[in-house]
Amino acid sequence: MSAAAPRVGIVAVSHSRPLAEAAVALALEMVAGDPPPIAIAAGTADGGTGTDAVRVSEAIVEVGSGGAGVVVLMDLGSAVMSAEMALEFVADPELRVRLVSAPFVEGLLAAVVRAAGGADLDAVAAEALGALRPKSEQLGDAAPVSVDRAVDDAGDRADAPPAPAGDLASTAPPPAIAEAVVRNVAGLHARPAAEIAGLVAQRGVALTLATDAKGPVDATSPIGIAILGAGPGTIVRIAASGAGAAEAVEEVRALIESGFGEELAELDVAPTAPAAPSHPLGVSSGRVVGPVAVMVHAADEPDPAARIPADQRDGAAARLREAMLAVAGEMHETAQTLSGQRRDVLVATAAIAADPALHREAESFLRDEGLTPERAVWVELGRTAVQYRELGGRMAERVTDLVDVRDRIIARLTGVERPGVPERDHPFILVADDLAPVDTVGLDPERCLAIVTEQGGPTSHTAILARELGLPAIVGAAGATAIADGTVVLVDGDTGELIVQPDEGARATATGVITLPPFEGPGETADGHRVVLGANVGAPRDIRRAVERGAEGVGLFRTEFCFLDRTREPSVDDQIAAYREVFAAFPDRRVVVRTLDAGSDKPLPFLTSDDEPNPALGVRGYRTSRRDPEVLDAQLRAIARAADAERADAWVMAPMIATVAEATEFAARARAAGNRTVGVMIETPAAALVADELCAAVDFVSIGTNDLSQYTMAADRMSGELAHLADPWQPAVLRAIRLIGESGARTGTPVGVCGEAAADPALAPVLVGLGVTSLSMAARAITAVGAIVSSATLAQCRAAAEAACAATDPAAARAAAREALAT
Amino acid sequence: MSTTDTITIEGFTAWLAAFRDRVTEQRSYLTELDSAIGDADHGANMARGMAAVMEKVGASPATTADELFKTVGMTLVTSVGGASGPLYGTFFLRLGMTAGAVAECDAAALSSALRAGLDGVVARGKAEAGDKTMFDAMAPALEAMDAAITSGASLAEATAAARDAAAAGRDATETLVARKGRASYLGERSAGHLDPGATSTALLFDALAEVTAS
Repeated sequence: MSAAAPRVGIVAVSHSRPLAEAAVALALEMVAGDPPPIAIAAGTADGGTGTDAVRVSEAIVEVGSGGAGVVVLMDLGSAVMSAEMALEFVADPELRVRLVSAPFVEGLLAAVVRAAGGADLDAVAAEALGALRPKSEQLGDAAPVSVDRAVDDAGDRADAPPAPAGDLASTAPPPAIAEAVVRNVAGLHARPAAEIAGLVAQRGVALTLATDAKGPVDATSPIGIAILGAGPGTIVRIAASGAGAAEAVEEVRALIESGFGEELAELDVAPTAPAAPSHPLGVSSGRVVGPVAVMVHAADEPDPAARIPADQRDGAAARLREAMLAVAGEMHETAQTLSGQRRDVLVATAAIAADPALHREAESFLRDEGLTPERAVWVELGRTAVQYRELGGRMAERVTDLVDVRDRIIARLTGVERPGVPERDHPFILVADDLAPVDTVGLDPERCLAIVTEQGGPTSHTAILARELGLPAIVGAAGATAIADGTVVLVDGDTGELIVQPDEGARATATGVITLPPFEGPGETADGHRVVLGANVGAPRDIRRAVERGAEGVGLFRTEFCFLDRTREPSVDDQIAAYREVFAAFPDRRVVVRTLDAGSDKPLPFLTSDDEPNPALGVRGYRTSRRDPEVLDAQLRAIARAADAERADAWVMAPMIATVAEATEFAARARAAGNRTVGVMIETPAAALVADELCAAVDFVSIGTNDLSQYTMAADRMSGELAHLADPWQPAVLRAIRLIGESGARTGTPVGVCGEAAADPALAPVLVGLGVTSLSMAARAITAVGAIVSSATLAQCRAAAEAACAATDPAAARAAAREALAT
Repeated sequence: MSTTDTITIEGFTAWLAAFRDRVTEQRSYLTELDSAIGDADHGANMARGMAAVMEKVGASPATTADELFKTVGMTLVTSVGGASGPLYGTFFLRLGMTAGAVAECDAAALSSALRAGLDGVVARGKAEAGDKTMFDAMAPALEAMDAAITSGASLAEATAAARDAAAAGRDATETLVARKGRASYLGERSAGHLDPGATSTALLFDALAEVTAS
């Protein structure tokens, strides 16, 4: 960026000259090099408090002489009016001026930094507008303004996409990727963010930054960088493409690793090697080849400026009608393949697409204003959505359906993929930025060969789902969604390898999904100690799989799938039907039903609030029933009635229990509803510590190892970076399980494990040795786990457990357990 | 309606002087009103602004309405400081633009010029009826003035009607809760006080009625 190129000018309008001068001085501290033109219009001519529209207009003309436009920041009251009035005094019609409603100090800093970097008027204004966001996020408010636009703009300007496809894009020039560890104590706060943004702007490269949790963000936006919230120790992924990308990435990496001349944190991590590629992580076994289908999250906004000539509007209106009716028909067809409330919802949604009023309104936008059909649908359904939202209640709950209809129609009109899990009539490899539980309800494991996501760690939903379905999966594959639909890729869920357009030799290495023969029970150790090996069931499709794989019943029936795609609580009858389906598959077998585990990573619109600062520690699981007791009571009645109608041995348990009082209360409610065998999950250290009393209060307990690990280690289970902490092999977690096992033995209470840990063949004997009497896991793991359990005696399992608990870290625990089992 | 039933440049200048005198005399009263619900500067700001206006107008007397009111508006904008600068500034600028390059106005022309001024105030301040602002005095004043003109009243009768309506509008602001400007931060507590802007607007119409009285 040459210093001579005109830059956007900034005008600071304030009641108080000292205030404006101090704010401008603060902003200039953020700019390393040459500041953009800045003028102050503050105070009255005689030094008093006030604003002067004439002075504001002079300031605008003064800083706008370069021709790049002017951004005006104001404090309050008359400052706003004076600025508006000043626009009327500016004679030059070519001078583009933006009054930005940002908070004065934050907006000024953001605008000055961005303008110093040579950004254009839109980008500077957008940056200022989003300036409150880091503070809002820090304080936990809802973000008032999105800064995403600024990111989009930057992407639009650059020739290359902002998130390059890494080593995956075989046709594009190789993009540059590197990782840097944040070393300074204060992290990437405003000043370092400004320094990075300044550097990137000078290089003129489309460069993005991302952490495991957030991003990618445009690195010319200091606010975007600040929003990453990258503290010391955070690994920042740097990606760029285009000319000079490699050099720019290396400079940014070096800058971040330098610590910006600030105080450095003491980190265990060694500085990363220059330009180290980011590593996709294999999280579910198998090596397969197939064509990519990319999941789309929402339709892009159609161009608002596009207009259709008058003589083509008839044809466009016909295309619009055809698309709406086709979407309605298609949704009807899908509805016929479903049952219960899911079918009703889809039928009602199809009716929206066929609504004549919607069609009339959209067509009038098209005919009167010449909007494109997709724009007309966007505008009209957007309007309807606002009305629904204002009406509240049931109408507001339909807004998601409106958006779905809108996106489907637009997809039909523009020929792009509609949002959601792609529909294909051939096998495919699903590629997504990340998968939410609701996205995966409709995933057909017969068609989907493997899953690849950009986000997520080894215990993310994607990983869990993939292991349950027995699909190979890779998470953390940066840039994967940039792979063109239909491109053939090779996915290795063990090594994390992802090869785009593999050659014949590579294709030949694919082994498909590994399948072992089904398990033949009963589950027991070599010396006949009984260990019940059940399957986890989280969706109707899991039932058949569990039966096929030889599961001895269901150790964890997650009832969320009946609720997840709902905006309202399903009726008792719908629930009974869903539960009976599972019970019917396991006559005379034990089926452990977990009551609704909403909240945290499984939010439900009708039950959980979405504004909790810390959902994992918030109102989730059993806790939601304090606020909405009737949802739980209805579910308990539905479970009891479903059990009465079938032959399965139905057990029921509550998730997220922390106190004996909760367990006692739940047991009373469950029994009052007609359930015979009642238990609780132990997922919190609190529950583990009072396991004796819990065992006395209920008929059985079941350990959720994923959450128990997360809460014992205070490490987010979704964080790939903390995976070494949220590990069930951690001796602290093993000792917590031992406490529970001992309580179970003392009181004669069955102790189950139904987390991911149960599916780890190496860990299963250790769990048995710790006193666990049943293991429940993804169906595909049962054969392997059953084989291991039957190969060891109870005494060996106990020795392995003791050795693992005595170890100092997970690696040592594994080694110690392995050694004990071998002797 | 007689041919002398008009307001001339001299009349306009007398109006501005009478307004200046009123805001100067009532400076501490306006400030007192503003200290209850605003930032206690309305009296001082208006007195300073109108003093600057009369100084400018005296130094270079205008010959047409647009010229005169442009000077008035721009002087208020640069000398008042608070929100009444752009608001009264816009009022006089728009008034002058609509009156045009004329040396005198009849009642109807005056009324439509004042109406343009009010429209400017609305555009600038985004105020509506009942927001407890100068709009609540000015809008009823102009309605009363138009009603009087329609029923054949003289200029003096029309401005007297405007004066009375402005005063009534001002009084009615006492019970309102402010929704604009700094007074709006007080919410319910702003009720029970007259709005200073509506009060100075009532003074403006009082001054107009006085200089056009037959």
